[in-house]
Amino acid sequence: MTPTLFQYLTISLLQIIVILGFVMTLVPLLTFAERKVIAYVQVRLGATRVAGGLWGAQRGRTHQSRTLTGGLNGLMWFLGRVPVFSILRGLPMFIADALKLLTKEDIVPTDADKAVFVLSPALAMVAAFTVFAAISFAPGALFYFPAKFPFLGGLPFNGFLTDLNVGLLFILGVASVGVYGIVLGAWASNSKYPLLGGLRSAAQIVSYEVPLTLSLLVPVVLTGSLNFNEMSTRMAVDVPANGLVGIGRTLLMFVGFFVYTTCGFAETNRTPFDLAEAENELVAGFHTEYSGMKFSFYFLSEYASMITVSALAAAFFLGGHYLMPFGLQHVWNHFFQHSSNAFLAWTCMPSILWFLLKIFFLLFCFLWVRATVPRYRYDQLMNVGWKFLIPYTLVMFVIAALLRYAA
Amino acid sequence: MTSSLLRTLIPFDIYGGMKLTGKYFGKVLRQANRGAKRTHIVVEYPEVPTTLMPRFRGRLQMIKDEQGEVKCVCCLACEKICPTQVITIEKGKKEGRKTPFPVRYDFEMERCIFCEFCVESCGFDSIILNHQFELAAYDREDFSHAMEGGFQNMFDTTPVGHYSVASDD
Ligand code: SF4
Ligand code: SF4
Repeated sequence: MTPTLFQYLTISLLQIIVILGFVMTLVPLLTFAERKVIAYVQVRLGATRVAGGLWGAQRGRTHQSRTLTGGLNGLMWFLGRVPVFSILRGLPMFIADALKLLTKEDIVPTDADKAVFVLSPALAMVAAFTVFAAISFAPGALFYFPAKFPFLGGLPFNGFLTDLNVGLLFILGVASVGVYGIVLGAWASNSKYPLLGGLRSAAQIVSYEVPLTLSLLVPVVLTGSLNFNEMSTRMAVDVPANGLVGIGRTLLMFVGFFVYTTCGFAETNRTPFDLAEAENELVAGFHTEYSGMKFSFYFLSEYASMITVSALAAAFFLGGHYLMPFGLQHVWNHFFQHSSNAFLAWTCMPSILWFLLKIFFLLFCFLWVRATVPRYRYDQLMNVGWKFLIPYTLVMFVIAALLRYAA
Repeated sequence: MTSSLLRTLIPFDIYGGMKLTGKYFGKVLRQANRGAKRTHIVVEYPEVPTTLMPRFRGRLQMIKDEQGEVKCVCCLACEKICPTQVITIEKGKKEGRKTPFPVRYDFEMERCIFCEFCVESCGFDSIILNHQFELAAYDREDFSHAMEGGFQNMFDTTPVGHYSVASDD
């Protein structure tokens, strides 16, 4: 059943709302997770209560005062005794964070280039969010509208927005626009720290774009496609003609995963490559002059691109919508496809669950690395990019071509 | 040669660091509740009272002996040694007491740096720095301590201290 144009547009709108809602809720949760993960790694507890007294004066112990925040603190104080849920203490803090950013005064420096200053955070955010148009969260339809559903009955609700045949090119191209947001914002601030941060960021992102794209060429060469869905499916379940090629492919994907994530860290300006906002040298880097909502646009775009990088790594290297990473799914399928155990048979099927789990794990890795690896010096950063990652990826590319030839 | 090349090509050090931090993350994640056994080093301060180290230097406090008599004999050693000069003593007499008696012993905490020189210089063990650390106040007068009068008492705790205790030991 093919939808009419109007039905198609309605479904697309719903999908956009769902995907944007997913990303927009994930980002604040991620900031909370960042606090907690880094605190736990440093043997601390992180945020465990909400400060201040909303609706009423705060007095006495924080969890006993008769205010909204006091009540929340009391609840969280109780949660502290429950082993698993004690992680959730301090969760309302992310609402407080959002409220703080929303109500903060928005300062535009006097000598700033006003138009560019206002537009560049929007540019960064649009670039970071448009990428989700080509990422597919589930390979096929997520669910079908029930037949009785008004107007949309019987139509599929897909796990992706568009099934572009050049999806990867689209993602890489649009994601690269984000650097304009950073550089233009830095330049428009008319201040030296942002300018230095922006220049660094430009050099860094342009350098790391090369190995990032080269490492993504490995799945392109192996699958012979640029379509996101097709690539991730074929990387996961393609059965190579002979065993040696399969082993080589798995090893290649294993190494490629690490190389790609390293480049991804640099692309998203995350530690250990967050030289654009090196606090001890550049105050806060390119967003020094930004405050309030404009700052949170940069913030949102950084976290959204973290999700993008995780999604790409999960799709092309960790098996995408299938359970097993590194193209091992065909081995798994070989053993369990015709298993009588319903659960084991189900694990051979693609599911949005595996994909989301992999994304969450990779996002956790982002925070884990931030808590572990110190920031690189600038020349070290360039050395890692040009002297190690580009030769690595070139070698990987040649091996991928040989494997393709052998298969 | 080979091993150094290998170390350059494969970041073993990062792997080691990640293993260490991952270990701590797992430990704290399992014991983040207020159980008997806990890994994290955080004391949830306002709710949970802390145990202070015996040599913790809190607010200056005067001690009385067994008869309830002020031990200070007005040798003025503490007043002289205090680097910020926040102690003011006035020598006086009290009937039935052989040694001089401090008529006035003022201590202005707002400038005290809690160096404990005064306590060390006192040969009569008549003052200590107690274990009180919640010393913030809304009024400047609340930082002035004296033996009597309108000021905070040198023998008692400050009223703002809800959670920390003054001790005589
Ligand atoms: S602790 Fe130091 S600064 Fe404070 S009263 Fe004693 S000698 Fe003076
Ligand atoms: S050093 Fe001791 S005895 Fe001497 S004046 Fe100070 S408190 Fe009194």
